[in-house]
Amino acid sequence: MKKEGMVKLISAEGFEFVIDKKAAMVSQTIRNMFTSPGGFSEAEHGEVTFPEISTIILEKICQYFYWSLQYASGRETEFHIEPELTLELMMAANFLHT
Amino acid sequence: MGGVCSRKRDQQQVNEETLNRRVSGRYISKCLGSSLNVSSLDASQGKQCIPSLIDLCIHKIQKDIDKYASFTMLPRDMIQLIFNDLVCSLCLTNSLFEAFRECSLQDLNLSDYPGVNDRWMDVVVSQGSSLLSVDLSGTDVTDAGLFHLKDCVNLQALNFSYCYHISDKGLQNLKGLSNLTTLSFKRSGLITSQGLSLVSGLSNLANLDLERCSKIHGALVHIKGLSKLESLNLNCCTCINDADMKPLSGLINLKSFQIAFTKVTDKGLALLKDLKKLALVNMEGCSVTAACLETLAAFDALSYLNLSRCNLTDDGCNKISRLQSLKVLNLCFNKISSAILVHLKGLTNLENLNLDSCRINDEGMTHLSGLSRLKSLVLSDTYVGSSGLRHLSGLHNLESLNLSFTIVSDGGLRKLSGLLSLKSLNLDARQITDAGLAALTSLTELRHLDLFGARITDSGTGFLQCFTNLQSLEICGGGLTDVGVENIKGLVSLTLLNLSQNNHLTDKSLEFISGLVQLVSLNMSNSRVTGTGLLHLKTLKNLRSLTLESSKVTAGDIKKLHVTYLPHLVSFRPE
Repeated sequence: MKKEGMVKLISAEGFEFVIDKKAAMVSQTIRNMFTSPGGFSEAEHGEVTFPEISTIILEKICQYFYWSLQYASGRETEFHIEPELTLELMMAANFLHT
Repeated sequence: MGGVCSRKRDQQQVNEETLNRRVSGRYISKCLGSSLNVSSLDASQGKQCIPSLIDLCIHKIQKDIDKYASFTMLPRDMIQLIFNDLVCSLCLTNSLFEAFRECSLQDLNLSDYPGVNDRWMDVVVSQGSSLLSVDLSGTDVTDAGLFHLKDCVNLQALNFSYCYHISDKGLQNLKGLSNLTTLSFKRSGLITSQGLSLVSGLSNLANLDLERCSKIHGALVHIKGLSKLESLNLNCCTCINDADMKPLSGLINLKSFQIAFTKVTDKGLALLKDLKKLALVNMEGCSVTAACLETLAAFDALSYLNLSRCNLTDDGCNKISRLQSLKVLNLCFNKISSAILVHLKGLTNLENLNLDSCRINDEGMTHLSGLSRLKSLVLSDTYVGSSGLRHLSGLHNLESLNLSFTIVSDGGLRKLSGLLSLKSLNLDARQITDAGLAALTSLTELRHLDLFGARITDSGTGFLQCFTNLQSLEICGGGLTDVGVENIKGLVSLTLLNLSQNNHLTDKSLEFISGLVQLVSLNMSNSRVTGTGLLHLKTLKNLRSLTLESSKVTAGDIKKLHVTYLPHLVSFRPE
């Protein structure tokens, strides 16, 4: 099943996060996958697996995507990061260029 | 402190001492040049910068920094970002620095960082062969601290500027660092001939800064063999004279050469005639005459020339016209008159021209009208007036114009209204008034506006509202009240604001200023602000420098503000 305008991000443990494509494209890496003409298989199926990103981190990243869209539309709130997640989150953010 | 006083800035001599503060003015300047906070407003595009997740994480790490014992598990470039952020926000301490031990960092910039001393060097050196550059300028590191630097075999750049405790002894440890390309002992003062002899083996050295090393006369013979040397700074080495130029005559790769305020004369410069790659020559404050232009004319690549404070007269200055490749020319504080302007006419590559304190007037200004590449023009302290200004109206690349202490009046400013590229404008002159400002509202690209001694009143500030990109503003003529300050509360890009000597300003002004959250430096000395009003400034999280002398604010008031709301405030007066 592939809902329109939605994409699926899959964590290392196999958890699937279905989010708006617009949100996912906040990540430059994901944006490249879906817009590059090289024909990534991700672009065809609308799903990306991240074997190196754990579920809890991927969830936080999805939260960031939506927070970022909200911020851009003028709603500026604080983005809370649990201290124990920070380092891992930063590395994943670096990988996703976001 | 009664009437309005004005002062000359801009033309700082190269031998002016930096104030010996706990944290130097250089640090403030650095902060003014960078954006510090997480969410910044990109005013020039009217867009917002959304904080990246990386930035949010770095900010979070900074807040929880004492929870991290080590960063070695992170990729090097991430560690570097964390380090840079801690330095910028003044959060790094010696004990927190431990977390960066053995992180394979390549660049450690600790310049002007308060508290850095020999005890920090252990962690610095622990980066081992990864370490490529270390900047310890303005710190208290001593010779002992340099001992283990010899283990960092891949070091390329070392900066010990303003390190007053480094001497020849410390240099012993650098002898084997053959990969060094850049070395600076600017203003360190203790280096002698013996120290320079240790440097002679660093065959890859390309950049050497020995500014204000007063004990190296006769010692330049040690650098004779540094064939890769491209840049040499001997400014303010008052011991250096013509004889010292001889060993430099074979350094044919030299591109940048500075001997300001030394005893080198025309004869000494002539010894360097074979250095054909010279592109930058700084002879400010040297006893030279127009004869040196003969030598300089042979340097085909010469693009930057500083002959300020050389006591030059019009005699022989026609030779300047031969310096065709010049992009930057500084002739300030010479006894030259408008007669020189015709000789500049053909220097069509000129981008920067500085004629401050020369005996120039409107005559001959027409010769500048064809210098279409001109980006920066300094005419301060000359007799140029409104009539001369009309010749500048075609200089559409002009970005910076200094007319302070000239006789330009409001009417003349109309001639500037077409210079839409102008980013920096200095109109510090008593005869400029609100009417002059009215003519400038088309200059919406302005970033810096200096109206220090100009007679601007509240109605004049109304015209400032169009300068939405303004980053720095100075109005110190005494004519402002709180009403005028209200007009500028929307200039949210401001990082520097100086409203000193406007003694009618009250706490109400501080309320208006509280919205200028990008402010890094604020000066409201000689006003009526009080400790109560000070609380309005708690929103200014980027503020690093606060000056409120001769107001009703006490040192205790500021201390309280610093401790409670503005922990990152670095410099404040009264203290």
